[in-house]
Amino acid sequence: MTGGYGAGHLAKALAWTTVLYLVLPITIVLPVSLTDQRFLSLPYETLSLRHYANIFASPAWLAAISQSFALAVASTLLAVVAGTLCAVGCWRLSRRASDLVRVLMLLPLIIPSIVYAVGLYRWFGRLDLLDRFLGVALAHAVTAIPYVVITVSAALAAFDARLEQAARGMGASLPQTLRWVILPRIAPGIASGAIFAFIHSWDELVMVLFITSRQVFTLPRKMWDGINENLDPTMAAVAMLLVAFTILLLWLDGALRRRRGGDA
Amino acid sequence: MSAGLSPGAGHALELAGLTRRYGAFTAVQDVSLSVASGEFLTLLGPSGSGKTTILMMVAGFTEPSEGHVRLDGRDITVLPPERRDFGMVFQGYALFPHMTVAENVAFPLRVRGISRAARDEKVKAALDLVQLDRFADRKPAQLSGGQQQRVALARALVFEPALLLLDEPLSALDKKLRGELQEELKTLHRRIGRTFINVTHDQEEALRLSDRVAILDHGRLVQQGTPQDLYERPKTRFVADFLGRSNFLAGTVREVRPGAMALLAGATRLVQAVPEGSPRLALGAPGVLALRPEKITLLAAGETADTEVTGAIAAWSYHGTGFALAVQTADLGLLQVALPAWRAPIAPTEGMPVRLGWPADASVPVAEDSHAA
Repeated sequence: MTGGYGAGHLAKALAWTTVLYLVLPITIVLPVSLTDQRFLSLPYETLSLRHYANIFASPAWLAAISQSFALAVASTLLAVVAGTLCAVGCWRLSRRASDLVRVLMLLPLIIPSIVYAVGLYRWFGRLDLLDRFLGVALAHAVTAIPYVVITVSAALAAFDARLEQAARGMGASLPQTLRWVILPRIAPGIASGAIFAFIHSWDELVMVLFITSRQVFTLPRKMWDGINENLDPTMAAVAMLLVAFTILLLWLDGALRRRRGGDA
Repeated sequence: MSAGLSPGAGHALELAGLTRRYGAFTAVQDVSLSVASGEFLTLLGPSGSGKTTILMMVAGFTEPSEGHVRLDGRDITVLPPERRDFGMVFQGYALFPHMTVAENVAFPLRVRGISRAARDEKVKAALDLVQLDRFADRKPAQLSGGQQQRVALARALVFEPALLLLDEPLSALDKKLRGELQEELKTLHRRIGRTFINVTHDQEEALRLSDRVAILDHGRLVQQGTPQDLYERPKTRFVADFLGRSNFLAGTVREVRPGAMALLAGATRLVQAVPEGSPRLALGAPGVLALRPEKITLLAAGETADTEVTGAIAAWSYHGTGFALAVQTADLGLLQVALPAWRAPIAPTEGMPVRLGWPADASVPVAEDSHAA
């Protein structure tokens, strides 16, 4: 940005404080994960990757990681399909009706997840979905829908409605228009939504604590139990892997957005 | 001639009593119009005159409140746009930004399930037609405005549509490019012989391109005819004013003879030819004559004309091909006069007294517009 007002000292100080506040936990966790000791501490003599090696040697950790991954993929698929259809539907409908639906779709963001979790617990008990893969996938998918609806709606808002009209005028049916004109134009929005939905499921803990026990054991749940039972530097290593993976996904999202900005 | 586009397959369109209302507002009122096969018709009007609404009703995007659209006698009023088989060049072109030029042009063929081989051949023919074959693999954003316009044209023609609809096709281009593309469009129309319906607010474009022009104002069809017809014989004040420039001379009818009449405006006697069959004004009735600036001549000493008036130059400007003079007269107010600059009889200066004249068939009686009352 050029030509704008420069930032003042106070604003700069405030911004850097915020950055420090956000980054500080990682600056502790990272050294701890590289400690050469067997207990939670900063490295004494040398940096060590033994705790990372521990994760990949432990069937329990690997199982938790793969289960979390499978859950995230499943719930992302559900959320993307439902959220995209909802956003496209709202976009095509009249303004007033669609605004109402959009607000309803944001409810999972508005309702505290613990309230949601308690409600899910009661209903899933009756539906026999407690401690089931399907149950957690559904819970994560429903709470991820808002992310998809928001990103896809934003992409649709930037979509030139005349393109749809042009497609129709040239003889395209609605499914053809959706497939060849609308979806390719909003694909970056769908991808963003999918990434956020994935991250949402990947590190969600509150609902999982309520609706799972033995069968479904996700990575955040395993970490939670680990912290309560025996706190060792492996936790820090897992945390770092979680952070790295999330950063990777966010970078992917940014790259996709830049590409979209490039051809628009 | 290109393989993909066979000439001469035009279709006739008829609009009967077309009306479109939005709540209490009437955008188009009772428009009846027929377009012959192979004709280039332009709907001309200022913004808000309903011309685009008419085109949208022809295309099928807007449903008429009343009236019918017929193609070769078949009623297509409620047929959805995707089943009309009309080619359309949209305002701003509406090219698909994620597709290459070739993919854009192939789109109408793809939705019709035409095989890839046949598609490629037709796309190439259409791109040849608009001289864009070299740009087949570019994205629309990499093309200039004029090139994008030609892609839109190729895309609209590639599936050999029954009718080509053009919605302000040249309005986004600069003046010079617009002139070039007007020529191209006209040549293209002659070559492929299809029926074209064009919408524009640019009167110059309408005059240059069309076989016939329909002028719209406030949702009504005011007058239709060939460009010469409309320019030389406007029926209403609106048409005379919108198409080119006109002076309006108001007077009272004082004499009526076979083939001519005279109006009196103050002390000035306006002599008006009345051709056989044209409506006559009654003696004593008020009348308005429209007079084009280029039909007024500067009278030299001793020279006479059917109508003569004296005045003084109030303002003038030089336009290369001519001078534009504003002459203040006692009886007719300010008169706009276009004077050829090449060997102009005077060098205009402000306040210079001049004597103006024009023949009886230079001006036309025009009706006041109904909505203005």
